[in-house]
Amino acid sequence: MKQHGGIRAGLYKLYRMDDLKPGVQVGEDKYGNKYFENNRYFYGRNRWVEYAPKYGVDYDGSQVPAEWFGWLHYKSDLPPMKDPSRPKHKWIADHQENPSGTKDQYMPYSTTRPKIEPWIPPKSN
Amino acid sequence: MSGSTLKLFSLVKTGPNLIRPLSAIVQKRYASKGEYYIISKDHSSMDMNDITDRAAQTIFWTELVRGFGVTLAHIFKEPATINYPFEKGPLSPRFRGEHALRRYPSGEERCIACKLCEAICPAQAITIEAEERADGSRRTTRYDIDMTKCIYCGFCQEACPVDAIVEGPNFEYSTETHEELLYNKEKLLNNGDKWESEIAANIHADHLYR
Repeated sequence: MKQHGGIRAGLYKLYRMDDLKPGVQVGEDKYGNKYFENNRYFYGRNRWVEYAPKYGVDYDGSQVPAEWFGWLHYKSDLPPMKDPSRPKHKWIADHQENPSGTKDQYMPYSTTRPKIEPWIPPKSN
Repeated sequence: MSGSTLKLFSLVKTGPNLIRPLSAIVQKRYASKGEYYIISKDHSSMDMNDITDRAAQTIFWTELVRGFGVTLAHIFKEPATINYPFEKGPLSPRFRGEHALRRYPSGEERCIACKLCEAICPAQAITIEAEERADGSRRTTRYDIDMTKCIYCGFCQEACPVDAIVEGPNFEYSTETHEELLYNKEKLLNNGDKWESEIAANIHADHLYR
């Protein structure tokens, strides 16, 4: 209970995450999500993410950025800051959660010129 | 009743032993053909005492009580389920999820519009149109993937000579409408930009097999 910040914060966390687990914080990404590990739980439950407080109860699985994705999915035991195989190009975009159902949602559009161009009647006179 | 509990106890004790003679018998069967063995359980004894015990177990629902005991015990056990989205299940580096178009480290897009992916796609989900770009290089003007046609076989990323189209690790891209899944080139390149860290790590994890 002490680790979760007292009784009130602990109860809120229990309400939000349905679970109170003691663990060691492995890291935090730049969006505020915190990553924990406790190997006393069995494989599959021993790593978890605590979504940033700004999300409230609107947390979503797609809020985990690509850098931490591999660690959280047990692909790699190295957290991103210790993994040398991860590139850091300057064109890498910020992570974005699944925007479906919001006004930012993707709508398909054509990336080519139209094949048929409409005939614009010449103006007489 | 004391007889019935004793019988229960002895049943539990002989439980694992029931298996061992069976395997011994099966081995023996190959040794000598022509003989036969009864491998089913022994017929239960028809003594008045034993019959009464069995009847008592049925009448007093002891199986039900033991069943409830198992249920109660599981309440106090560690759950076997994971608490998604906080905990997530293990994935392979070869996992085939949402598609992405990658870029070279310089930021130049990789795809050269060779259309091998379009040709190999068994679901014909990919549509490509190519044109010469202003600097004379061959690039796509249209790269559409219908994600609702795609069967996630991964042939496109295997066909690609420049590692441009990959099936990324992301699987959390469900949408509310169909049209949001008709990806165009812009969307695929965006995916590549967002997931490059993980895509590169996956390719690196597999580099001995490529």
